[in-house]
Amino acid sequence: MSSSPVHKTKLIFPVTRHRYKIWLVSGLAVIISIAGLISCWLNPLIGYPLRPGLDFTGGTQIKLERQCNDECNPIRTSNVTELLREIPLNTSGNESSPNLSIARVQFLDGYKSILVRLPFLTASQAEKVAQALDPIAGPFQPGGQSIDTIGPTLGAQLLKSSLISLLVAFSGIAVYISYRFDKTFALLALVALSHDVLIVCGVFAWLGIFLNLEVNSLFAVALLTISGYSVNDTVVVFDRIREINSSANSLGFNQKIDFAVSATLSRTLYTSLTTLLPLGALIFFGGDTLFWFSVALALGVTVGSWSSIALAPSLLSLRSEV
Amino acid sequence: MARQQGWFALLLALVIASCSVCFSQPFQLGLDLRGGSQLTLEVQPTKDFPQIKDEQVEAVKAVLDRRVNSLGVSESTLQTIGTNQLILELPGEQEPSRAARVLGKTALLEFRAQKEGTKTEMKRLQSLRSVLRNIAISKGVINDENGVFPDNEKQQLKNVNKSLGLKETTGNDFEQLENLTKVINTRIVNLFEPSDLTGRDLVSAGRRQEQNLSSWEVTLTFNQSGGDKFSQLTKSIAGSERLLGIVLDGESISEASVGEQFKVAGITGGAATISGGFTADSARELEVQLRGGSLPSPVKIIQVRTIGPTLGSENIRRSLIASLSGLSLVAVFMVLFYRVPGLVAVIALSFYALFNIAVYTLIPVTLTLPGIAGFILSIGMAVDANVLIFERVKDELRRGNTLIRSIDSGFSQAFSSIIDGHITTLISCTALFYLGTGFVKGFSATLGIGVVISLFTALSCTRILLRFLMSYKSLRRPTNFLSASQLPS
Repeated sequence: MSSSPVHKTKLIFPVTRHRYKIWLVSGLAVIISIAGLISCWLNPLIGYPLRPGLDFTGGTQIKLERQCNDECNPIRTSNVTELLREIPLNTSGNESSPNLSIARVQFLDGYKSILVRLPFLTASQAEKVAQALDPIAGPFQPGGQSIDTIGPTLGAQLLKSSLISLLVAFSGIAVYISYRFDKTFALLALVALSHDVLIVCGVFAWLGIFLNLEVNSLFAVALLTISGYSVNDTVVVFDRIREINSSANSLGFNQKIDFAVSATLSRTLYTSLTTLLPLGALIFFGGDTLFWFSVALALGVTVGSWSSIALAPSLLSLRSEV
Repeated sequence: MARQQGWFALLLALVIASCSVCFSQPFQLGLDLRGGSQLTLEVQPTKDFPQIKDEQVEAVKAVLDRRVNSLGVSESTLQTIGTNQLILELPGEQEPSRAARVLGKTALLEFRAQKEGTKTEMKRLQSLRSVLRNIAISKGVINDENGVFPDNEKQQLKNVNKSLGLKETTGNDFEQLENLTKVINTRIVNLFEPSDLTGRDLVSAGRRQEQNLSSWEVTLTFNQSGGDKFSQLTKSIAGSERLLGIVLDGESISEASVGEQFKVAGITGGAATISGGFTADSARELEVQLRGGSLPSPVKIIQVRTIGPTLGSENIRRSLIASLSGLSLVAVFMVLFYRVPGLVAVIALSFYALFNIAVYTLIPVTLTLPGIAGFILSIGMAVDANVLIFERVKDELRRGNTLIRSIDSGFSQAFSSIIDGHITTLISCTALFYLGTGFVKGFSATLGIGVVISLFTALSCTRILLRFLMSYKSLRRPTNFLSASQLPS
């Protein structure tokens, strides 16, 4: 590296010059996200910043594939809820009988499958409910059913373990970056990461309000992956800023940042693209279990690229040097 | 040149070894891919043990293990999670309620002698109980509409209620039936005196058809001291009007009289049978519970997941399509944008996929749907390492360096970024793996393995392949790496 690498690089995106615009965009996105989380929280039907799914609230979910040829005849959900209300369930010991009248019934893929959400049932009670649905919505595809029941304690525990693992992962990453770079880099990487996680959460909060979309533990996994990806992305850019900064040249700190971002720009975009390609495949072919998980990841990757190309370096420009 | 060929041979050997591993070992598929049931059990604290300790969980696990094995589900797994939970996987099992019934029972078996002077009360309670049993048999549970009984049965319930001296109970007929059955059972059990002969004195349990062939009985064999206790117990009540109560989990399942002929020595030989109108299935369940021993602490089932086999194979099909199309899209992209090195990256990526699969079978990792998602995502990481390197190589070429030098410095300059990126992802994976549960673990395991292998393939496979190819003159042209317009003249 005899010649300075900087002058051969084209300055494609001068981040420091556009930093106020960048902060405006990110700031708006964050505000909209926080607004989403708050309105979700204040919504009397939800009461949490994100609409919690079965994994966190506990309960039973029965999904059955209906056996029908090209088209499945539509069924009114009210008919199903009425039927459910009348199923007598055996309770054992001193447990109180679960209240089936609060069941939620949904039809998916044009009535091709039926999804019923119920309070926590025992295995035999859940089987009984699944059988009872047969006369009204059957016949069902043999082997196409899935029954999930999760106790309320386990739900709370899952939520706790998800939050703890997020925090532990964050602090682990912060410690590593402060060791490899310094505290400012660690702080900025965490700011970029929180920005990404917050926006993904915000989008899902709004989806929870408008599409009744619920978050499950897969969503927590997605958040963790996004944070790993976001930091990875940011670190590569920081790495280049540090490298250019240490090479002798007469440029100001802000210009060095601009050059570093431009030098890594194609890499960041290509990498995002090569991650988005398999994620797109998962979104289209992965089935409904992985659909929203892949959407969350794709969103996170996109926002993560923005924060590592634009947000984190532009914030670094607030410092005069490294 | 010879050195490069040595490395290349090593790489080839690794690939061949991975291939043979993949073909010789079967995949471990998770329940969401093959269908089956998963139960999460929580060990409950008791008065004696208010705090759950590892030993207790281990003891519970040992008992459950024996019960699961006698259930006859092949390839079942039972593992401890956290401090007080156990996860049981039953591949192919579509009726988790059966397993739940067998596993959840404490199976505390007690033999009790009837208290003196309770003969009339016992007779009365037994006849009331048989009234209730007849009602219960005449109803299925689900067939009955709205839980309303016909008038004559309603009246019978009322009579039993009155006879027990209870106040009018509320609730529908089913609930009344259950409540009354419970009350009668408790009263019957209270007519017996506890003894020190329990299920711990059992050596084995079996079952056979009763002579009338319509019902089954469960046979018991006691150990030495159990046999002695049993003969003492039967001796004390033989020929009297008192009965021998067999109480399972606080419920009297059978009350037997002991004949006059056992007055002298009691029933010796250390064997007994329980007959209580068992069906083949219920006799088998009791047998399994007794043979496994009683649970040292009660367990509660806190989660049940059941996935049908068709849904499972559908999941396999979908994730296979997603993985393959994801990989090929990335491959097309790499070749289009990076030419020869792009092709090298694609080969390195297929090695990467192969090594991953080999490691999954070696460790072994149980593949689940989120696990496959973790793998697909780790492809992104693996590509990133290659992109980082190739971008650096391009930079060097643009600066007018020779090809070989550009490749070398490309690798060395990208090194620190690659390491940092991989380690931060690995930190998240580790946090997820140790703190997460269930499929979160599966996801972090495959992603973590992917990250480690990607470090290896990017830094060595790509390099070895690239340098090997550079030993051919026709490939050693900068235009294979970069369009001519970008090269310095």
